[in-house]
Amino acid sequence: MQNDLIPPGLTYLADNIISRQNILGVSKEQSARWARGLGLPGRAETIFFAGCGYQFSRQLEALMSLVRGVDKSVIGAELPLRFARFQKKLGLNLPGIYSNVLSRGAEDEVKPLEAAVKVLRNLGTQPGYLAEEEPCCGAPLFQAGLQDDFSVNARRAYQKLKSSGVKKIIGIVPYCTHALARLFPRFVDGYDLEVRHFLEVVAAEIPSRKLRFPRKVKVTYHDPCQLVRFLKLIEEPRQILKAIENITLVETDWTHGEWSTCCGGGGGFEAVFPELSQMLAVNRARELAETGAEIIVTHCPGCIIQLKDGLRQLKVEGIEVLDLSQVVAMAMEL
Amino acid sequence: MKKTSGFKDYKKEIMDAAHDERLRLALTRAIKSFRGNVNNALKKFPHTVGLAEEVLAIKEKAIPDMENLTRQAIAAIEDNRGKGYLAKTAKEALEIISGLTGKGKLIVKGKTMTGEEIGLREYLEEKGNDVYETDLGEFIIQKMGSRPMHITSPSIHVPREDVARLFSKVMGQEIAPDADIASMVGAARDFLRDKFFKADIGISGANVVAAETGTLFIIENEGNIRLSTGAPLVHIALVGMEKLVPTIADACKVAEVTWRYANYTVPSYVSMISGPSKTGDIEKVTTYGAHGPREFHVIFLDDGRTRLARYPVLKQALYCLRCGGCLYECPVFAVTAGHFGDKYFAGIGAVWAAIVSQDMEKAASLAYTCLTCGRCRERCPVKIDVPEMIIELRKLLALPPRSE
Repeated sequence: MQNDLIPPGLTYLADNIISRQNILGVSKEQSARWARGLGLPGRAETIFFAGCGYQFSRQLEALMSLVRGVDKSVIGAELPLRFARFQKKLGLNLPGIYSNVLSRGAEDEVKPLEAAVKVLRNLGTQPGYLAEEEPCCGAPLFQAGLQDDFSVNARRAYQKLKSSGVKKIIGIVPYCTHALARLFPRFVDGYDLEVRHFLEVVAAEIPSRKLRFPRKVKVTYHDPCQLVRFLKLIEEPRQILKAIENITLVETDWTHGEWSTCCGGGGGFEAVFPELSQMLAVNRARELAETGAEIIVTHCPGCIIQLKDGLRQLKVEGIEVLDLSQVVAMAMEL
Repeated sequence: MKKTSGFKDYKKEIMDAAHDERLRLALTRAIKSFRGNVNNALKKFPHTVGLAEEVLAIKEKAIPDMENLTRQAIAAIEDNRGKGYLAKTAKEALEIISGLTGKGKLIVKGKTMTGEEIGLREYLEEKGNDVYETDLGEFIIQKMGSRPMHITSPSIHVPREDVARLFSKVMGQEIAPDADIASMVGAARDFLRDKFFKADIGISGANVVAAETGTLFIIENEGNIRLSTGAPLVHIALVGMEKLVPTIADACKVAEVTWRYANYTVPSYVSMISGPSKTGDIEKVTTYGAHGPREFHVIFLDDGRTRLARYPVLKQALYCLRCGGCLYECPVFAVTAGHFGDKYFAGIGAVWAAIVSQDMEKAASLAYTCLTCGRCRERCPVKIDVPEMIIELRKLLALPPRSE
């Protein structure tokens, strides 16, 4: 990665994808650890694609908080761009730090993934999971403009999926799902995998279910950009939330559906402009908090980190941020 | 990034803006009012959405044909006894215009983004002319020594209290910080009134131009354009080639869609100007310069536009009607205003910087400031796909440098 015009914050993510097949450069064993104990088959025609994000939530939060601290300090002006170098200079070994955190157990951050698998099973789908063999979608490469690298990665990922006998994919992370569903067909000749998002699978099955949230709550929904404006999943999350007894959905004044405001964590922006990204998170959290909701439901690991941070900065208490998969799992009493 | 200083300065600029409470206050007020207005305008005239689709089709055909349309427009303007010019570069345009104005003139100017793009006012001032911006927002910017922060609302980042302070200073007439906006507008009117009639030359841009008749369509609400283009003896218009469409019917569609998405049900004025003022009332002898200008000059500016038109994805930037709607939807713009920009703002500004200004470092700074969240695309009347353009631009930026 030698281009002078690409911010190093992005080349850092890109290098990790190319060398370690995930954004943080941790081992594949660590990214698959969340599924231990769920007994998901390693080989199946339909697989659950966990991607990366959810299982690193705590680490990403820690990373962002570190980077933001640096960005706000006097030396910050150019540092986030040169994060990788900065890291080396300080002798930081982030993958090492994450390994430590992960080895201490990381129950919090895996909840949405685990919940999603349980929900799918409850709806009669028995997906497999490639675990250590799951390839990286490489979406940040595409976002950074490294399309040759993305293209090579996409073909390799497709081969891996094919050789594992995969025919259908259920995606959950917005960026990964968008890459697999919309970008791969543009870069891989004869791409023949059927890709659906978790929301589509759930929304199709939900009318026949009786769902009940454990307590009466007012919730609002934050649409992740990739889901709402790129995959056009506008009605599905609302259909699901409205079908749950005890949940009242309250929308933001104007900024919902296709007009939803970005959380500020999009496409590597947070790595280049950490402090500005936090300001946008605060703005979005404020819009959502103004609905009077007790729970902000969203469906993207990046948005969750951003909105939690936004609420923290606003010093708003009593509002929870939950992933939609968690809410559905709770309503299914799973 | 080899030359990090450019990015460093840029980042400092946008972060300073993001920490500016005055700016945030002004933008929050503006965004709220814009959204309300545009929704009302579209609700009242729901056909606009379909009309916008027609406009996209018009632009898709007109942009690849810009050079031809320019020749056609110049011929038509000359038939109308005006004068048409094609300026290949900004420098050429400045030289043509200053050749027409000369030195020591009083010039009244309507708002033109194309003029801002090439630094027209500054250039004419350097040549020893007295230039007055007559659009209220642009007037505020000129007096502040600042630069526009939005396409249609250049002083969007200045709250009313700051305007009162500024006007008190430049007009020698005390305006209280809590004075109503009407008294500020009145002060500007009084100040500029006689300038229109004393001016030697009036300068304007245009929102859209019909090539077949050489007709400029200029949309405005203040009336300063009518005075600037009507009162002085000479009218000079500077127009980007991307503003050309084939016919008057096409231009009407473009104009209506532009103002509607710029949050107006209908603007107070739309001027259609095709030539100098004339009369044949005495013995049917056509005589030029009746009540309006005797001379009418139109300079069509290329300066990279035909180059941009050859990029398959990025050429969409030329479809832009400059309604400014996208900017109100950009979460970054909401905290930084036009500091997230160069000659033009936000995502389209990045494309413009890369291909028109050919400033790759600036383009990179802007391209990586875009969230690619895509809300601008939802608002855009001609569905310009900014995320797609930005990713394409990042791809070009990531390519090893090569000579063109």
